[in-house]
Amino acid sequence: MFTYTVRRLLIMIPTLLVISFVTFSIIKLPPGDFLSNQIAELRSQGDKAALERAEFMRAQFGLDKPFIEQYAVWVGIWPTERGFSGLLQGDWGWSFEHDLPVSDVVGDRMLLSFILNFTVVLFTWAVAFPIGAYAATHQYSWGDYGLTLLGYVGLATPNFLFALALMYFANVEFGLAIGGIMDPEYLDKPWTWAKFGSVVNHLWIPVIVIGTSGTAGMIRRLRANLLDELQKQYVVTARAKGMPPFRLLVKYPLRMSLNPFISDIGNLLPSVISGSAIVAVVLSLQTSGPMLLDALRSQDQYLAGSFLMFLALLTVIGMFVSDLLLAALDPRIRLTGGVAK
Amino acid sequence: MNRIFAALFLPAFLACAVPQAAAQEKLIEPPMFAEEIKAGKLPPVAKRLPGTPLLVKLGPGQELGQYGGSLSMLIGRSRDVRMLVVYGYARLVGYDLNFNIVPDILESIEAKGERVFTMKLRKGHRWSDGQPFTTDDFRYFWEDVANNKELSPTGPPSDLLVNGEAPKVEFPDKQTVRYSWSKPNPDFLSRMAGASPLFIFRPAHYLKKFHRKYNPKAGEAQAGGGVKRGWAAIHNREDNMYQYDNPALPTLQPWINITKPPSDRFVAVRNPYFHRVDANGRQLPYIDRVVLSVAEGKLIPAKTGAGESDLQARDIQFNNYTFLKKGEKTNNYKTLLWKTARGAHFALYPNLNVNDPTWRKVLRDVRVRRALSLAIDRSQVNQVLYFGLASEGNNTVVAESSLYKKEYQTRWATLDKKAAEKLLDEAGLKRGADGLRKLPDGRPLEIIVETAGESTEQTDVLEMIRENWREIGVKLFPKPTQREVLRNRVFSGEALMSVWTGIENGLASPDISPEELAPTSQQQLQWPKFGQYFETSGKAGEAPDIPEAAELMKLNAQWRDAATREERAKIWHRMLQIHAEQQFVIGVVSAVAQPVVVRNTLRNVPEKGIYNWDPGAFFGIYRPDTFWISEPKK
Amino acid sequence: MSTVPEPRLAHYVATEPFEPLATEAMTPEQERFYRASQWKIMWWKFRRHKVALISAWVLAFFYLSILGSEFLSPYNLHSRDTRHIYAPPQSLHLFHDGKFVGPFVYGYTMELNMQTMRREFLPSQDKVQPLRFFCRGDSYEYMDLVESDIHLACPAEGGTFFLFGTDRLGRDVLSRIIHGTRISLTVGLLGIAVSFLIGITLGGISGYYGGWIDNVIQRFIEMVRSFPELPLWMALSAALPVNWSPVLVYFGITIILGLLDWPGLARAVRSKLLALREEEFATAAVLMGATPQRVIARHLLPSFASHLIASLTLSVPSMILGETALSFLGLGLRPPVTSWGVLLNEAQNINVVALYPWLMLPVVPVFIVVLAFNFFGDGLRDAADPYK
Repeated sequence: MFTYTVRRLLIMIPTLLVISFVTFSIIKLPPGDFLSNQIAELRSQGDKAALERAEFMRAQFGLDKPFIEQYAVWVGIWPTERGFSGLLQGDWGWSFEHDLPVSDVVGDRMLLSFILNFTVVLFTWAVAFPIGAYAATHQYSWGDYGLTLLGYVGLATPNFLFALALMYFANVEFGLAIGGIMDPEYLDKPWTWAKFGSVVNHLWIPVIVIGTSGTAGMIRRLRANLLDELQKQYVVTARAKGMPPFRLLVKYPLRMSLNPFISDIGNLLPSVISGSAIVAVVLSLQTSGPMLLDALRSQDQYLAGSFLMFLALLTVIGMFVSDLLLAALDPRIRLTGGVAK
Repeated sequence: MNRIFAALFLPAFLACAVPQAAAQEKLIEPPMFAEEIKAGKLPPVAKRLPGTPLLVKLGPGQELGQYGGSLSMLIGRSRDVRMLVVYGYARLVGYDLNFNIVPDILESIEAKGERVFTMKLRKGHRWSDGQPFTTDDFRYFWEDVANNKELSPTGPPSDLLVNGEAPKVEFPDKQTVRYSWSKPNPDFLSRMAGASPLFIFRPAHYLKKFHRKYNPKAGEAQAGGGVKRGWAAIHNREDNMYQYDNPALPTLQPWINITKPPSDRFVAVRNPYFHRVDANGRQLPYIDRVVLSVAEGKLIPAKTGAGESDLQARDIQFNNYTFLKKGEKTNNYKTLLWKTARGAHFALYPNLNVNDPTWRKVLRDVRVRRALSLAIDRSQVNQVLYFGLASEGNNTVVAESSLYKKEYQTRWATLDKKAAEKLLDEAGLKRGADGLRKLPDGRPLEIIVETAGESTEQTDVLEMIRENWREIGVKLFPKPTQREVLRNRVFSGEALMSVWTGIENGLASPDISPEELAPTSQQQLQWPKFGQYFETSGKAGEAPDIPEAAELMKLNAQWRDAATREERAKIWHRMLQIHAEQQFVIGVVSAVAQPVVVRNTLRNVPEKGIYNWDPGAFFGIYRPDTFWISEPKK
Repeated sequence: MSTVPEPRLAHYVATEPFEPLATEAMTPEQERFYRASQWKIMWWKFRRHKVALISAWVLAFFYLSILGSEFLSPYNLHSRDTRHIYAPPQSLHLFHDGKFVGPFVYGYTMELNMQTMRREFLPSQDKVQPLRFFCRGDSYEYMDLVESDIHLACPAEGGTFFLFGTDRLGRDVLSRIIHGTRISLTVGLLGIAVSFLIGITLGGISGYYGGWIDNVIQRFIEMVRSFPELPLWMALSAALPVNWSPVLVYFGITIILGLLDWPGLARAVRSKLLALREEEFATAAVLMGATPQRVIARHLLPSFASHLIASLTLSVPSMILGETALSFLGLGLRPPVTSWGVLLNEAQNINVVALYPWLMLPVVPVFIVVLAFNFFGDGLRDAADPYK
């Protein structure tokens, strides 16, 4: 167990390094850089005053340096004239768009993102679990088809349209606000119960939209695994011994089929973040998705890069944790060195 | 416009065009400050106003208002907090409702021959933090900012240079600033009155602490976030008079931004030292607070329709009008239709500097451009997209401009397919067997028109033009790309034809620079290389080798030296005529209606107005500080 | 025979002819089952799954319609009728005034409301416009070769047939949906082809060789999976040279979509191979001197080809939805190219949701196709292991 853990930990480091390199390359892939876009924009608007500062900034932030050097500076393995200051030192860099340190820009959005994504995950589990269990135990019945269909509705509808339509409908019928993750007055205020309530009020539309697209997959997986378990000998034995069916279901097979839920923790994060990014853009939520998209569009490289690295780090850690959990739960995995699917 | 008047009729000008509240009748205190005044933290209004505040004359249909209330607006990105500066529209000199330039912050301005500008400040005028606004602020700007090698590495702003010559800046007394050049600087006033203005002053008392010269320790403390920057960078960061994202920076605008970025909601409060008053003696603005909430651009029409904005024109378009009308009763607002004033809302820009030699010859043939223009069914575009409310015709000045002539709008712009066919035949572009015309070298006459891909409207218009042109044997291929890429392709000569809006200032008067009509900037998509040639003074680009373009250059230069208004008007007319004849830019529609959503309780917003960036500053010239709320929520 | 027999068991000899299978005689059905090939059994099992069967038919219908999009749609892709802008859908009727007329629609009367800037269309009872079938309508070039103008159904002469209404330029939504099928359905196929190639190769190598190669590839897979999809899509799409023609962009998009999808497939392939390579037939092949490629391709792969197919079909919906998402972000296909994603993107504004909801109808084919693929894939997967 210990060697397994250590091995996984050691492998994480080069993984992250490679991810950082690939991320940075991809961000820098489109031609030009942040300033070149800005300069062109400003020139077309005739805003000559800011123009004259932009060249200034280019030298300041080393955007005229070669790619490798920019990358190394960002990671923190190459010094600038002001010393080492990069990811390894905990400095996330400077956001050109907002003219502020990245950590300031990301700020509150991280927390709101976390709340949103966490709620979505909870929702997905809460919906998928009973449906999947029912579908497995009543295979090929109308209930099976009907409920699975319901689960698929969310998957099959493009999120962005669903979000817009649901939001409009909720506004017209229930008077709910259009978009936003909370009422505007609470945006910069500290957390109070009222603020929390406002967030809850605004949260249910995005949670439904994002959550329903994830439930289908979860339902299917649970159903398949449960079906597999239900064929096994021990279930037959227990039934023969007269165990009540519901208790039988819960005590043994269901626990065994929880395997994918745990292994999915690692996967869930990237997919939920992607899914929530689009919905967040449509609904104008103040989470990290829209900020990331804007940063990618305008090539605000440190903001985009650092944030993506953060996400990748979370994912890698998440996968590591889920693998650890699985290994602890299931000795077969430890010994064969991989996750059985 | 009043430069000649100013020079000749100075006293009369001072007296009538700039009414002063010379006799201080009773001044009314905004209730918002009652407590602070009682606590002694703020002086009473009589001491806060300058000695001669600006007495605002209300426009037609406006009434004197009450204090109070909060104005909520939606913005698409957090950097739009600068709209507070645009809408606030406190300028040294500004445009009035008739687009004449009058003094605003300045008590008076005298422009001798447009070379020597003598500006008089209001005595006792203060910044928003109570510090005096004096010539020291102008001196700081000129000596310590514009001419400081580290703060302005490229020298003073180009608006202040006439043929490269810097102005002579003098301060004859504590209240007067004088800028003088040896040749006229006709742009000076209009630049200072612009939406994104030329600021020739700074809050010296605040910025001095970031300036090495006055504070040797400046820049040593790090700006937050561990990024070590030089003092110049920090000074520039603090000095954001237009970006308006530094709450600590004193300002002269009617509302002060008190929210530090990053934020999704900016709150601005009344400036206690604002220099304008109304006829009742109330210090403006009427409204206590302005709240700007950031929302996703595409969602702003939806939010406005749900009643989340008290005053909204930004980020909503004409095609939202029907939806906005729907929500009027439930959400208590009305939707007005103002006019836009661009020369064209949609215009085609044939790239006269395109690399391909065959295409270059074809596009430079005026008959081809005229034919393409004649074949466009503008009225259909108008009907389909704008309900017939827009104006069809060329890319030229709009009807409200004093330079407008009907022929500029309609020459070569009325639908005439037969004439178009004839012109194309004459130009040697014969039809092939498949009905499509061919270039002289045999390739099909297929024009790839590139757009910035940001609006479906442009694609829609191109759809319609495509069918129009197909009938005369020309194939149009629309290609949406991205703004940046589009520009680069045009600049480099790869793009054949592009789509953009037309003349930015369709409300031009003879005293406004006609540089938009001459090849003066690389950003002009019809002749980027000519423009580049001018910008770089011949170092890059190509010299204009089309005779009419060269003539436009000459006329532009002549305008700058013209002495009288009549001369300037003549030059303008000649330039407009050349454009109408030559069809360098093929305009389609202009004067597209702009919906403006106004809360029912918000008063003094004109029913009909012109929504234009410069001049106009969107709401600026209508003086939002005179808007008031009839039943303010407490 | 001599003396009296002794009391012992008689030696019984059966008189009937000997039949070796007597005890295990099979009924004809059982025999058919026993002799059937693997694929045949799969087909039988698949048939039992009714919903999957229906889905298969639905998908076949959609894909076949690609061949005749121009014929099936009442109008051309770009036909505009500027007199009918934002016209609401016309419903089909059969009986008018109690009399059977055949399929027809009621014509519109149009009023321009200058207060709200809206064109108001109402069905008018006196304008009965019967549909024509196999009729001549807008002319089109089939496959850029043959010019024709025959459509399955057209509006009456001088009439309109907007079953799903029209958009802001007066284009028929139904026709646009039918034409959009081409791009939307093929995007998925090309994408999974890319994903298939990469997944099989990497998964195969990883599963077959095991050891450190397996480790390295596993880490690589993990790395790819820890990227959130969306930013990668965005960055990659933004990096596509924008001066590419729409066709190239289209291919670029499918490749990008495929590039991000292969890890799932690779892992499935790997785990299957890890199990299968221990099987006896694999060992036998190795012992007979087969190269690793041959063992993988000829012996191992076919055993789980069915699983592969099932996985693949389950990936197509995510490609289709991915295309719509990319269109939304402005990165995918754009007009004048028409796909369901482009149509949905055009419907993505509040005007449509509030005033012209019929423009959201392209969501219906997306929904149906995604569901169909999912059920079809499920059925395939259930049928994939026929010997269970």
